[in-house]
Amino acid sequence: MTSPSDLSTGDSIAIGQIGVAIGRMTLKTFVGSCVAVVLHSSRHAAAGVAHVMLPASQGREAPPGKYADTAVPETLRLLREATGDPVLECSAKLVGGAKMFGFTQGIPIGDQNVAAVEKVLRELGIEVVGRSCGGQHGRRVTVDVETGIVTVQTAEQGTQTL
Amino acid sequence: MTSDELPGMAAAFRRGADEASAALAKWLGRPVTLAVQRLEAVPLTTAAAALGSGAEPVCGCAMGISGAIGGVLLLAAADQDALALADTLIERPPGTSTSWNEIERSALIETANIVGCSYLNVVCNMLVPERAEGILPSPPLFLRDFPAALMEAMLLELPSPAETVLLARTAFAVDATAVRCGLLFLPDAESLARLRDAADGPRSRP
Repeated sequence: MTSPSDLSTGDSIAIGQIGVAIGRMTLKTFVGSCVAVVLHSSRHAAAGVAHVMLPASQGREAPPGKYADTAVPETLRLLREATGDPVLECSAKLVGGAKMFGFTQGIPIGDQNVAAVEKVLRELGIEVVGRSCGGQHGRRVTVDVETGIVTVQTAEQGTQTL
Repeated sequence: MTSDELPGMAAAFRRGADEASAALAKWLGRPVTLAVQRLEAVPLTTAAAALGSGAEPVCGCAMGISGAIGGVLLLAAADQDALALADTLIERPPGTSTSWNEIERSALIETANIVGCSYLNVVCNMLVPERAEGILPSPPLFLRDFPAALMEAMLLELPSPAETVLLARTAFAVDATAVRCGLLFLPDAESLARLRDAADGPRSRP
Protein backbone atom coordinates (compact mmCIF):
# COMPACT_ATOMS: atom_id res chain seq x y z
CA MET A 1 0.00 0.00 0.00
CA THR A 2 1.25 3.45 -0.86
CA SER A 3 1.98 5.74 2.08
CA PRO A 4 1.42 9.51 1.74
CA SER A 5 5.16 10.14 1.22
CA ASP A 6 5.16 7.76 -1.72
CA LEU A 7 2.50 9.75 -3.48
CA SER A 8 3.16 12.85 -5.48
CA THR A 9 1.60 15.85 -3.76
CA GLY A 10 1.78 18.14 -6.80
CA ASP A 11 1.83 17.59 -10.52
CA SER A 12 5.52 16.59 -10.49
CA ILE A 13 6.25 12.97 -9.79
CA ALA A 14 9.65 12.20 -8.25
CA ILE A 15 11.64 9.02 -8.63
CA GLY A 16 9.79 6.04 -7.15
CA GLN A 17 6.56 7.98 -6.64
CA ILE A 18 3.05 7.57 -8.04
CA GLY A 19 0.68 10.36 -9.02
CA VAL A 20 -3.02 10.05 -9.83
CA ALA A 21 -5.36 12.79 -11.08
CA ILE A 22 -8.77 13.28 -12.64
CA GLY A 23 -10.01 15.87 -15.12
CA ARG A 24 -8.30 18.98 -16.48
CA MET A 25 -4.89 18.50 -14.95
CA THR A 26 -1.38 17.55 -15.97
CA LEU A 27 1.09 15.13 -14.42
CA LYS A 28 4.79 15.61 -15.12
CA THR A 29 8.02 13.78 -14.59
CA PHE A 30 11.56 13.43 -15.98
CA VAL A 31 12.97 10.02 -16.82
CA GLY A 32 16.33 8.72 -17.94
CA SER A 33 16.79 4.99 -17.36
CA CYS A 34 13.63 4.90 -15.26
CA VAL A 35 10.27 4.29 -16.90
CA ALA A 36 7.19 6.48 -16.60
CA VAL A 37 4.18 4.18 -16.75
CA VAL A 38 1.08 6.15 -17.71
CA LEU A 39 -2.27 4.48 -17.11
CA HIS A 40 -5.27 6.29 -18.57
CA SER A 41 -9.00 5.73 -18.33
CA SER A 42 -10.83 7.61 -21.07
CA ARG A 43 -14.18 6.77 -19.44
CA HIS A 44 -13.24 8.61 -16.25
CA ALA A 45 -10.80 11.13 -17.80
CA ALA A 46 -8.33 9.96 -15.19
CA ALA A 47 -4.65 9.06 -15.29
CA GLY A 48 -2.01 7.61 -13.05
CA VAL A 49 1.74 7.88 -13.52
CA ALA A 50 4.34 5.70 -11.80
CA HIS A 51 8.03 6.65 -11.95
CA VAL A 52 9.52 3.15 -11.96
CA MET A 53 13.17 2.90 -10.99
CA LEU A 54 13.95 -0.83 -10.90
CA PRO A 55 12.43 -4.02 -12.35
CA ALA A 56 11.65 -6.11 -9.25
CA SER A 57 11.03 -5.48 -5.56
CA GLN A 58 12.22 -8.97 -4.55
CA GLY A 59 10.28 -8.66 -1.34
CA ARG A 60 11.99 -5.44 -0.29
CA GLU A 61 10.02 -3.00 1.78
CA ALA A 62 10.12 0.15 -0.28
CA PRO A 63 7.76 2.62 -1.92
CA PRO A 64 5.62 0.57 -4.34
CA GLY A 65 6.23 3.11 -7.10
CA LYS A 66 9.90 2.24 -7.16
CA TYR A 67 9.60 -1.24 -8.65
CA ALA A 68 7.81 -2.41 -11.80
CA ASP A 69 6.14 -5.40 -10.14
CA THR A 70 4.60 -3.28 -7.38
CA ALA A 71 4.19 0.08 -9.16
CA VAL A 72 1.82 -1.00 -11.91
CA PRO A 73 -0.73 -2.81 -9.68
CA GLU A 74 -0.56 0.00 -7.12
CA THR A 75 -1.14 2.69 -9.76
CA LEU A 76 -4.15 0.75 -11.03
CA ARG A 77 -5.44 0.38 -7.46
CA LEU A 78 -5.04 4.11 -6.77
CA LEU A 79 -6.74 4.97 -10.05
CA ARG A 80 -9.69 2.71 -9.17
CA GLU A 81 -9.84 4.21 -5.69
CA ALA A 82 -9.76 7.78 -7.01
CA THR A 83 -12.51 7.18 -9.55
CA GLY A 84 -14.59 4.96 -7.28
CA ASP A 85 -14.70 2.37 -10.05
CA PRO A 86 -13.44 -0.99 -8.76
CA VAL A 87 -13.39 -2.53 -12.25
CA LEU A 88 -11.88 0.46 -14.06
CA GLU A 89 -10.20 -0.45 -17.34
CA CYS A 90 -7.32 1.51 -18.76
CA SER A 91 -4.63 1.63 -21.40
CA ALA A 92 -0.92 2.23 -20.89
CA LYS A 93 1.82 4.37 -22.38
CA LEU A 94 5.49 3.88 -21.55
CA VAL A 95 8.26 6.47 -21.63
CA GLY A 96 11.93 6.14 -20.68
CA GLY A 97 14.25 3.18 -20.26
CA ALA A 98 17.23 4.96 -21.83
CA LYS A 99 20.85 3.86 -21.63
CA MET A 100 22.53 7.17 -20.84
CA PHE A 101 25.83 6.01 -19.34
CA GLY A 102 26.55 2.33 -19.81
CA PHE A 103 29.25 2.11 -17.15
CA THR A 104 27.82 -1.15 -15.86
CA GLN A 105 28.01 -4.53 -17.59
CA GLY A 106 25.10 -6.72 -18.68
CA ILE A 107 21.59 -5.86 -19.84
CA PRO A 108 21.07 -2.10 -19.41
CA ILE A 109 18.83 -1.26 -16.48
CA GLY A 110 16.57 0.80 -18.77
CA ASP A 111 15.86 -2.25 -20.95
CA GLN A 112 15.22 -4.35 -17.84
CA ASN A 113 12.78 -1.76 -16.55
CA VAL A 114 10.81 -1.63 -19.82
CA ALA A 115 10.67 -5.45 -20.06
CA ALA A 116 9.52 -5.77 -16.45
CA VAL A 117 6.78 -3.15 -16.86
CA GLU A 118 5.54 -4.78 -20.09
CA LYS A 119 5.37 -8.17 -18.35
CA VAL A 120 3.24 -6.82 -15.49
CA LEU A 121 0.97 -4.96 -17.90
CA ARG A 122 0.48 -8.17 -19.91
CA GLU A 123 -0.39 -10.08 -16.74
CA LEU A 124 -2.95 -7.43 -15.81
CA GLY A 125 -4.41 -7.39 -19.33
CA ILE A 126 -3.57 -3.71 -19.90
CA GLU A 127 -2.85 -2.79 -23.51
CA VAL A 128 0.18 -0.63 -24.32
CA VAL A 129 -1.05 1.98 -26.81
CA GLY A 130 2.02 4.21 -27.00
CA ARG A 131 5.69 4.17 -26.19
CA SER A 132 8.85 6.24 -26.39
CA CYS A 133 11.56 4.04 -24.94
CA GLY A 134 15.28 3.37 -25.24
CA GLY A 135 17.89 5.60 -26.81
CA GLN A 136 20.58 7.46 -24.89
CA HIS A 137 18.68 10.53 -23.76
CA GLY A 138 16.42 11.69 -20.97
CA ARG A 139 12.80 12.61 -21.47
CA ARG A 140 10.44 15.16 -19.97
CA VAL A 141 6.98 13.62 -19.72
CA THR A 142 3.78 15.66 -19.53
CA VAL A 143 0.47 13.84 -19.28
CA ASP A 144 -2.82 15.51 -20.13
CA VAL A 145 -4.96 13.71 -17.58
CA GLU A 146 -8.26 14.36 -19.30
CA THR A 147 -7.28 13.14 -22.78
CA GLY A 148 -4.41 10.80 -21.93
CA ILE A 149 -2.19 12.54 -24.45
CA VAL A 150 1.46 12.22 -23.43
CA THR A 151 3.99 14.80 -24.60
CA VAL A 152 7.59 13.64 -24.58
CA GLN A 153 10.29 16.32 -24.81
CA THR A 154 14.00 15.67 -25.14
CA ALA A 155 16.98 17.99 -24.79
CA GLU A 156 18.32 17.36 -28.28
CA GLN A 157 15.89 15.05 -30.11
CA GLY A 158 12.77 17.16 -30.30
CA THR A 159 9.25 16.56 -29.03
CA GLN A 160 6.94 13.63 -29.60
CA THR A 161 3.27 13.14 -28.81
CA LEU A 162 1.87 9.75 -27.82
CA MET B 1 22.93 14.51 7.18
CA THR B 2 25.28 17.40 6.42
CA SER B 3 29.02 18.17 6.57
CA ASP B 4 28.68 18.94 10.29
CA GLU B 5 27.40 15.44 10.94
CA LEU B 6 30.02 13.80 8.71
CA PRO B 7 33.22 15.55 9.86
CA GLY B 8 35.67 12.81 8.87
CA MET B 9 34.19 12.44 5.45
CA ALA B 10 33.97 16.18 4.92
CA ALA B 11 37.69 16.47 5.78
CA ALA B 12 38.56 13.80 3.20
CA PHE B 13 36.48 15.53 0.55
CA ARG B 14 38.12 18.89 1.31
CA ARG B 15 41.55 17.31 0.89
CA GLY B 16 40.32 15.74 -2.35
CA ALA B 17 39.24 19.15 -3.61
CA ASP B 18 42.65 20.63 -2.70
CA GLU B 19 44.41 17.90 -4.65
CA ALA B 20 42.10 18.37 -7.63
CA SER B 21 42.77 22.15 -7.53
CA ALA B 22 46.52 21.55 -7.65
CA ALA B 23 46.28 19.03 -10.50
CA LEU B 24 44.05 21.27 -12.61
CA ALA B 25 46.17 24.37 -11.92
CA LYS B 26 49.22 22.43 -13.10
CA TRP B 27 47.44 21.40 -16.30
CA LEU B 28 46.13 24.88 -17.05
CA GLY B 29 49.12 26.83 -15.76
CA ARG B 30 46.74 29.11 -13.87
CA PRO B 31 45.33 29.31 -10.35
CA VAL B 32 42.38 26.99 -9.87
CA THR B 33 40.32 26.57 -6.72
CA LEU B 34 37.92 23.78 -5.94
CA ALA B 35 36.25 23.97 -2.56
CA VAL B 36 33.73 21.60 -1.02
CA GLN B 37 30.80 23.80 -0.09
CA ARG B 38 28.61 21.15 1.33
CA LEU B 39 28.65 17.43 1.84
CA GLU B 40 25.29 15.92 2.50
CA ALA B 41 23.51 12.60 2.57
CA VAL B 42 20.10 13.11 0.99
CA PRO B 43 17.11 10.86 0.27
CA LEU B 44 16.89 9.38 -3.20
CA THR B 45 13.79 11.37 -4.16
CA THR B 46 15.54 14.64 -3.30
CA ALA B 47 18.81 13.64 -4.96
CA ALA B 48 17.20 13.49 -8.39
CA ALA B 49 16.58 17.24 -8.17
CA ALA B 50 20.12 18.07 -6.97
CA LEU B 51 21.14 19.52 -10.33
CA GLY B 52 17.87 21.36 -10.73
CA SER B 53 14.35 20.40 -11.61
CA GLY B 54 13.80 22.63 -14.60
CA ALA B 55 13.48 21.87 -18.27
CA GLU B 56 16.73 23.65 -19.22
CA PRO B 57 19.36 21.08 -20.16
CA VAL B 58 22.64 20.89 -18.27
CA CYS B 59 25.99 19.56 -19.43
CA GLY B 60 27.95 17.00 -17.54
CA CYS B 61 30.92 14.72 -17.67
CA ALA B 62 30.38 11.50 -15.77
CA MET B 63 32.89 8.92 -14.64
CA GLY B 64 31.87 5.47 -13.47
CA ILE B 65 33.81 4.12 -10.51
CA SER B 66 34.23 0.40 -10.02
CA GLY B 67 36.33 -1.96 -7.95
CA ALA B 68 36.73 -1.52 -4.22
CA ILE B 69 34.44 1.51 -4.28
CA GLY B 70 31.50 1.73 -6.67
CA GLY B 71 29.71 4.85 -7.79
CA VAL B 72 29.55 7.73 -10.22
CA LEU B 73 31.31 11.10 -10.25
CA LEU B 74 29.77 13.96 -12.23
CA LEU B 75 31.06 17.40 -13.13
CA ALA B 76 28.00 19.36 -14.23
CA ALA B 77 27.00 22.90 -15.15
CA ALA B 78 24.27 24.81 -16.95
CA ASP B 79 24.89 25.18 -20.68
CA GLN B 80 26.08 28.80 -20.51
CA ASP B 81 28.34 28.18 -17.52
CA ALA B 82 29.85 25.06 -19.05
CA LEU B 83 30.55 26.87 -22.33
CA ALA B 84 32.15 29.71 -20.35
CA LEU B 85 34.30 27.13 -18.59
CA ALA B 86 35.27 25.68 -21.98
CA ASP B 87 36.36 29.16 -23.16
CA THR B 88 38.48 29.54 -20.05
CA LEU B 89 40.04 26.12 -20.49
CA ILE B 90 40.81 26.62 -24.18
CA GLU B 91 42.03 30.18 -23.44
CA ARG B 92 39.58 31.83 -25.78
CA PRO B 93 37.79 35.16 -25.21
CA PRO B 94 34.60 34.77 -23.13
CA GLY B 95 31.57 34.07 -25.30
CA THR B 96 33.52 32.34 -28.10
CA SER B 97 31.98 28.92 -27.45
CA THR B 98 28.30 28.87 -28.32
CA SER B 99 27.69 25.18 -28.97
CA TRP B 100 29.14 21.81 -28.04
CA ASN B 101 31.63 20.89 -30.73
CA GLU B 102 34.50 18.44 -30.41
CA ILE B 103 36.94 20.91 -28.86
CA GLU B 104 34.54 22.18 -26.19
CA ARG B 105 33.55 18.63 -25.26
CA SER B 106 37.20 17.55 -25.11
CA ALA B 107 38.09 20.44 -22.82
CA LEU B 108 35.32 19.53 -20.40
CA ILE B 109 36.10 15.81 -20.56
CA GLU B 110 39.79 16.40 -19.83
CA THR B 111 38.89 18.66 -16.92
CA ALA B 112 36.54 16.05 -15.50
CA ASN B 113 39.24 13.42 -15.89
CA ILE B 114 41.88 15.43 -14.01
CA VAL B 115 39.52 16.65 -11.33
CA GLY B 116 37.77 13.32 -10.87
CA CYS B 117 40.92 11.20 -10.63
CA SER B 118 42.65 13.60 -8.21
CA TYR B 119 39.56 13.75 -6.04
CA LEU B 120 39.09 10.01 -5.98
CA ASN B 121 42.74 9.30 -5.23
CA VAL B 122 42.75 11.44 -2.13
CA VAL B 123 39.33 10.49 -0.80
CA CYS B 124 40.00 6.77 -1.24
CA ASN B 125 43.57 6.94 0.08
CA MET B 126 42.35 8.73 3.19
CA LEU B 127 39.27 6.70 3.85
CA VAL B 128 39.97 3.23 2.53
CA PRO B 129 43.78 3.09 2.04
CA GLU B 130 43.84 -0.71 1.95
CA ARG B 131 41.47 -0.67 -1.03
CA ALA B 132 42.51 2.50 -2.84
CA GLU B 133 44.64 0.65 -5.43
CA GLY B 134 41.62 -1.35 -6.53
CA ILE B 135 39.52 1.64 -7.57
CA LEU B 136 38.95 1.98 -11.30
CA PRO B 137 37.48 5.16 -12.79
CA SER B 138 36.08 4.92 -16.33
CA PRO B 139 36.92 7.49 -19.02
CA PRO B 140 34.57 10.48 -18.61
CA LEU B 141 31.46 10.57 -20.77
CA PHE B 142 29.99 13.88 -22.00
CA LEU B 143 26.24 14.30 -21.70
CA ARG B 144 23.79 17.12 -22.25
CA ASP B 145 20.33 16.48 -20.90
CA PHE B 146 17.60 17.49 -18.47
CA PRO B 147 19.08 17.71 -14.95
CA ALA B 148 16.56 15.39 -13.33
CA ALA B 149 16.98 12.78 -16.07
CA LEU B 150 20.77 12.98 -15.76
CA MET B 151 20.69 12.53 -12.00
CA GLU B 152 18.17 9.73 -12.19
CA ALA B 153 20.21 7.83 -14.79
CA MET B 154 23.32 8.31 -12.64
CA LEU B 155 21.57 6.83 -9.63
CA LEU B 156 20.63 3.80 -11.68
CA GLU B 157 24.25 3.28 -12.69
CA LEU B 158 25.08 2.47 -9.08
CA PRO B 159 25.55 -1.27 -8.56
CA SER B 160 23.27 -1.12 -5.53
CA PRO B 161 21.28 2.12 -5.52
CA ALA B 162 21.12 3.50 -2.01
CA GLU B 163 18.00 4.99 -0.43
CA THR B 164 20.37 7.75 0.65
CA VAL B 165 22.82 9.43 -1.70
CA LEU B 166 25.98 11.34 -0.82
CA LEU B 167 26.28 14.67 -2.60
CA ALA B 168 29.53 16.63 -2.46
CA ARG B 169 28.81 20.07 -3.87
CA THR B 170 31.99 21.78 -4.97
CA ALA B 171 32.64 25.38 -5.98
CA PHE B 172 35.04 25.92 -8.85
CA ALA B 173 37.09 29.01 -9.75
CA VAL B 174 39.69 29.59 -12.48
CA ASP B 175 41.89 32.70 -12.18
CA ALA B 176 39.77 33.65 -9.17
CA THR B 177 36.72 33.84 -11.43
CA ALA B 178 33.95 31.65 -10.10
CA VAL B 179 32.69 29.00 -12.46
CA ARG B 180 29.23 27.88 -11.60
CA CYS B 181 29.48 24.13 -11.75
CA GLY B 182 29.09 21.27 -9.38
CA LEU B 183 31.01 18.11 -8.70
CA LEU B 184 28.79 15.34 -7.42
CA PHE B 185 30.06 12.09 -5.98
CA LEU B 186 27.53 9.30 -5.66
CA PRO B 187 28.88 6.12 -4.09
CA ASP B 188 26.64 3.06 -4.10
CA ALA B 189 24.98 1.84 -0.87
CA GLU B 190 27.77 -0.52 0.15
CA SER B 191 30.56 1.94 -0.64
CA LEU B 192 28.73 4.76 1.12
CA ALA B 193 28.50 2.67 4.29
CA ARG B 194 32.18 1.70 4.02
CA LEU B 195 33.31 5.29 3.49
CA ARG B 196 31.16 6.53 6.37
CA ASP B 197 32.41 3.88 8.75
CA ALA B 198 36.01 4.61 7.81
CA ALA B 199 35.57 8.34 8.23
CA ASP B 200 33.10 8.88 11.00
CA GLY B 201 32.57 5.48 12.59
CA PRO B 202 29.65 3.04 12.26
CA ARG B 203 27.50 4.96 14.76
CA SER B 204 27.10 7.88 12.36
CA ARG B 205 25.15 5.72 9.90
CA PRO B 206 21.42 6.59 9.94
